Amino acid sequence: MNIVVLVKQVPDSEAMVQVREGGSAVEVEDKYTLNFFDSLAVEEALRIKEQVGSGKVTVVTLGTQKSVEALRTGVAMGADEAVLLDDPALIGGDEYVTAKALAQAIKNMEYDLILCGREAFDDSSGAVGPLVAEFLGIPHITVAVKIEVSSEQRTVTVEREVEGGKEILKAPLPVLLSAQKGLNEPRVPPITGVMKAMRTEIKRLDLAALDLPATEAGVAGAKQEVLRYHRPPERPPVKIVEGEVPDAVRELVKLLKEEAKVI
Amino acid sequence: MSAEVWVFAEQRDGKLRKVTLELLGKGRELADKLGVKLAALLLGSGVSDLAGELTSYADNVYQWDDPLLERYNSDIYLQLISHLAGKETPQILLAGATFLAKDLFPRLAGRLDTGIAVDCLNLAIGDDNLLVATKPLFGGKVLADVVCRKGRPQIALVRPNTFPPPSLSGASKGEVHKLEVSIDPDQVKLEVLEVVRAAKERLDLTEAEIIVTGGRGLKEPKNFRLLEDLADVLGATVGATRAVVDSGWRPQDDQVGKSGKTVSPKLYFAIGLSGAIHHIMGMDTSNVVVAINKDPRAPIFQYADYGIVGDLFEVLPLLTEELKRELAKG
Amino acid sequence: MDFRFSEEQEFFRKTIAEIVDKMIVPKAAEIDEKDEFPWELWKEFSKLGYLGLRYPEEYGGMNADKVTTMIFYEEITRGSVGFAQSVIMNMLMGTYFIHRFGTEEMKKRCLIPAIRGEKIATICFTEDQSGSDLAATRTTAVRDGDGWVINGTKMWITNGPICDFCTVLASTDPSKGLKGLNFFLVEKGTPGFSTGQVLNKLGCRGTLTGELIFDNVRVPAENFLGDELGKGVVYVGDILDEVRIMTAAMALGIARAAYDEALEFARKRVAFGNPIGRYQLIRAKFAEMTAEMQAARLLMYHAAWMLDQGIPCRKEAAMAKLYATEVCQKVVDEATRIYGANGFAYEYAPQRHFRDARFVLYGGGTQEVLKDFIGRLIIGKI
Repeated sequence: MNIVVLVKQVPDSEAMVQVREGGSAVEVEDKYTLNFFDSLAVEEALRIKEQVGSGKVTVVTLGTQKSVEALRTGVAMGADEAVLLDDPALIGGDEYVTAKALAQAIKNMEYDLILCGREAFDDSSGAVGPLVAEFLGIPHITVAVKIEVSSEQRTVTVEREVEGGKEILKAPLPVLLSAQKGLNEPRVPPITGVMKAMRTEIKRLDLAALDLPATEAGVAGAKQEVLRYHRPPERPPVKIVEGEVPDAVRELVKLLKEEAKVI
Repeated sequence: MSAEVWVFAEQRDGKLRKVTLELLGKGRELADKLGVKLAALLLGSGVSDLAGELTSYADNVYQWDDPLLERYNSDIYLQLISHLAGKETPQILLAGATFLAKDLFPRLAGRLDTGIAVDCLNLAIGDDNLLVATKPLFGGKVLADVVCRKGRPQIALVRPNTFPPPSLSGASKGEVHKLEVSIDPDQVKLEVLEVVRAAKERLDLTEAEIIVTGGRGLKEPKNFRLLEDLADVLGATVGATRAVVDSGWRPQDDQVGKSGKTVSPKLYFAIGLSGAIHHIMGMDTSNVVVAINKDPRAPIFQYADYGIVGDLFEVLPLLTEELKRELAKG
Repeated sequence: MDFRFSEEQEFFRKTIAEIVDKMIVPKAAEIDEKDEFPWELWKEFSKLGYLGLRYPEEYGGMNADKVTTMIFYEEITRGSVGFAQSVIMNMLMGTYFIHRFGTEEMKKRCLIPAIRGEKIATICFTEDQSGSDLAATRTTAVRDGDGWVINGTKMWITNGPICDFCTVLASTDPSKGLKGLNFFLVEKGTPGFSTGQVLNKLGCRGTLTGELIFDNVRVPAENFLGDELGKGVVYVGDILDEVRIMTAAMALGIARAAYDEALEFARKRVAFGNPIGRYQLIRAKFAEMTAEMQAARLLMYHAAWMLDQGIPCRKEAAMAKLYATEVCQKVVDEATRIYGANGFAYEYAPQRHFRDARFVLYGGGTQEVLKDFIGRLIIGKI
């Protein structure tokens, strides 16, 4: 069972994020970590490999040198190989081009299963996974909370979360699955893993190796472009809902629904 | 005829989802601005009533009605929608940022070679008549305005409750187009075995989207029943302050605060608690905070978005009832 | 000059920091409060293999460089000093002499299990009347046929009450003073070897520290750890720099724990309508703390780097310890001040860091002895 795991190094949830004057860029405090949902995906890949008893787990990411850390964390947890899509021309793209490049890399690899996190903390769109599946022409199932692989039948049975319940789906391999909270408890890397991670050679693929024209990568190939970044409005002072209690309660619920949009 | 604005009409158990109506409202506004028609996409089994309902909002309703579509299967939905999109070439496609849409539409974007913006918090028509979508980054610490110049349709998935539902004009003037459900079975690899509708298990505090926390203002352990009731209605998890836990009213596991759990749910109710800094440090990253306290000078109000100054024993039962009523509306 | 960590060291730091945040930080308050050895955490953590960091791979180690080892000490201490102290004792002084002089059999019996966390190690220098003044050691080891008989009482022994084996400093010839001192391995179960009083300490709670009693403890000749008699103090000298830099790393770990708490508090605590971090006097504290911690960090990692390069660093190691421990005192003090009255309350962490910080002032020798030592190196014999 060969499993590819898509990972991403993202800012820690506590990192300070500031918008540059004029909204042209975002400045992020240097506190990065492996995206939480991706660590679930790595863990699941390792468990499946252990359960099946053979095969390899390859972690793949697209990014700069900083992204190597995500790969090394994956290897430290137990992944066998690491691949970095490494070309300045790949940087700055949207989900569409990122997925295209990843698919291009995976196309040439042997894989039975692709795992990724539900979404990344930075853009939190969750679009790259399904897009990769589309470009590879394989099925996908998002927000998996339980995965059972039958290597004999070459199928997976997946329990996924939906609003107000669960769905159970079955798909033939190869398939792409995205990991949702609750899937597992990611392991802490042992020192042997860390040693291996520090020594593991990171396989680097540039545009030429990916056989991608520059017009279909990074900013040039992106379908979407960012016009500007801005800060969300600051938390205003508390709004005390006045009036008799029954009226205040009604007003509060209305505010939560229509203004805060949280229920 | 100019390219339409499409809204994906998500339905569940024979009812249109609320976000669908919200997007029909917004979609109409966008379509009017662009001078084009608004269309709704409806897939399901036995959904002609819903199609009728949609004609009150949309000029065209594209309807696929087939037992095959009773349960969502991305392989099937994808074929049908991409086929029609290839033919009709809409310029904008909107859907609610639901589990289903997040599963389906990124892939559709890939198939149609276009861009997608997920979890949008605002939509507008900008220069060159492009759709400007505002989406959150870094857990909402930053917002980005994005446009899609290079592909059609411009796809945006919008968070529920972002736009108000439209007021009904009364007349249903839209036209229903019943479309043939013809799919290539070779392209259907997924099989939906089971759909379980179940109340969610109560999540751990650190994972909960909504938390209802009580302090010593609850007066007695048994009064936490009031919080449980509220939590039941919201699918929330009940938390407690350190004082409450130290008094043995609630287990240690329930404690929110510096020496308990650090939480950042989307909605946090702080009830009958003053807001000691210990507590604040455990919850101040919550998205929206509601404080209920009889002391208007309680520090918790400094960290809250909404507050009611009043007796929680009077407020809570009413709040639970009101929420129950509101949520039943769907 | 190159002041960067290598990519590997940076990755190691990040990984160990995340492990500490996940496994140790959430338990730190409880470890301190209960003052019991955290067996469960010990088992869970030692299973990961980090206790072998500085030892060769054949014993289950990683053969890490000193800079990497210091990164580890700093991070784990940031998590919980009480836990870190036990861990570091197993990793460094508790096993150093066995690794260096022990038989292969002994290494199998003691070193490897200690690296795996299956056995608890310690070293015994201090006695009731002798700390930095090793010449005052009163424990004796007397040759008796083909073995040694040890008599004496050791005090302030980290891990003492729960140790499975210990390396004991004893005088084989009290007339020779420092040159009569030697190290011996004593294992649990040896007749005459027992534990005495367990100390109730101000800080570093969770690490059990206490008395070890040697009453006619007979050990075989091979338990003498050294090449030749009388060189015990020379061997101490060989490891002294590493121990001092380690103490500096621990001091920095404590300082960072307090600093992080204070920073979070300054950003969140509202007074007079503003987060207190907006007030200049609070900002000044952070300016000073940050600058001084950075200075201490540079001294510490520079000394560790010298150790890695094989450059003599006796003075640098001593200065790193001297300065880092003083910075640590200042930072834990400021952190409790920034916390206001809350810094005085047991339910917040700053008081714990404040108490824990006292340990690095004495651990591995007092500041006073250290200053005199550095001064002597600088001024020379006059």
